[in-house]
Amino acid sequence: MAARRSTDEMRERVVLGEFGVRNVHSTDFPGNYPGYDDAWDQRRFEEEFRVDVVGEEDGVLEFDMVGIDAAIANAFRRILLAEVPTMAVEKVFVYNNTSIVQDEILAHRLGLIPIRADPRLFEYRNQGDEEGTEIDTLQFQLKIKCSRNPQAAKESSDPNELYFNHKVYSKHMTWVPLGNQTDLFPDADFRPVHDDILIALLRPGQEIDVLMHCVKGIGKDHAKFSPVATASYRLLPDITLLQPIEDEAAEMLQKCFSPGVIEIQNIKGKKVARIANARLDTFGREVFRHEGLKNLVRLARVRNHYIFSVESTGILPPDVLVSEAIKILMGKCQRFLNELDAVPME
Amino acid sequence: MVMKNPDVQFCGYCITHPSESKINFRIQTRGSLPAVEPFRKGLTDLMGVCQHVLNTFEKSIKEYRAQREEEMQ
Repeated sequence: MAARRSTDEMRERVVLGEFGVRNVHSTDFPGNYPGYDDAWDQRRFEEEFRVDVVGEEDGVLEFDMVGIDAAIANAFRRILLAEVPTMAVEKVFVYNNTSIVQDEILAHRLGLIPIRADPRLFEYRNQGDEEGTEIDTLQFQLKIKCSRNPQAAKESSDPNELYFNHKVYSKHMTWVPLGNQTDLFPDADFRPVHDDILIALLRPGQEIDVLMHCVKGIGKDHAKFSPVATASYRLLPDITLLQPIEDEAAEMLQKCFSPGVIEIQNIKGKKVARIANARLDTFGREVFRHEGLKNLVRLARVRNHYIFSVESTGILPPDVLVSEAIKILMGKCQRFLNELDAVPME
Repeated sequence: MVMKNPDVQFCGYCITHPSESKINFRIQTRGSLPAVEPFRKGLTDLMGVCQHVLNTFEKSIKEYRAQREEEMQ
């Protein structure tokens, strides 16, 4: 019985010891454990797998994926960061830039601005194509000139009063339809996601007149194409008290963990510690600094329970991004399968 | 995925040079099957996993949103 429990621990938990982490790699492959059938079984996977959406607000989606292997969860995370395409400014044609911001710095800043345009409506630009066609390019114009305000008070030193248009925001970028884009996208409103991104500062007489071409790209090429502010996951914490902990030890234990994890209950006059919500803990391992407590608690993580947090930059909602990432992984598998079938193997 | 196949005796990969995007992927079976079969099965199984994950995820999102609509009303 004890042997079975310890193999279960080895298979299902990643244990955080005082000086290192144990059972990091997944070992549940066929033949490793006698008595366990670890061969791939789609039906068993479908029975145990579930997705629970915890919260969705402000472009941040938090959801749990339970019953999946680390490699696949990590693949989704990596694809979210680097391979889901978006539209971003790639080429900047500078007609006039008399501001203090250098051309290349201005172009760099413009490239990083997230553009609200559904990348699924566009194609990738062909390599070597300098001009760009309607189906793969979005054109934006930024034309702004700073002038002095004649009505400003004599002694005022507030730039907002003294000058017109001295701050160049992303709301000054306007969409210039190419070719038949007005027919292709009749009610589309292509603009930067946020209107209040400060691009440059001007003074009277300075002007910026640029034309920008946006293309579709992926984060692997340049980070400006990444659709997520960040996408990360952590494993579900699993804290077990190996012995009942009471009184001062219970108080000390509560301070060792993040607030809300340990709850102190009053049972028959004595204060007893209980694990209320292990999910909130960030595992600072403060327990191991106290000699009296470190052997009474087992810190572990559940190996196949992933708490994902996906924050979108605003181009696409986060749930659409996750769906796209899964479809991209399927597309990659399909490509390899097609190649396998095309090339004859001896 | 390929490791989960009981016919596979050895499976591993290495990246020959970080500047090139090439992976050396090696599958060794116990002598019965041609080694392409576990590869093909692994890819098909992975596609099945992704499809199921996609369906479950979209269903969960729909349920979550429906539940939030109910709570708001």
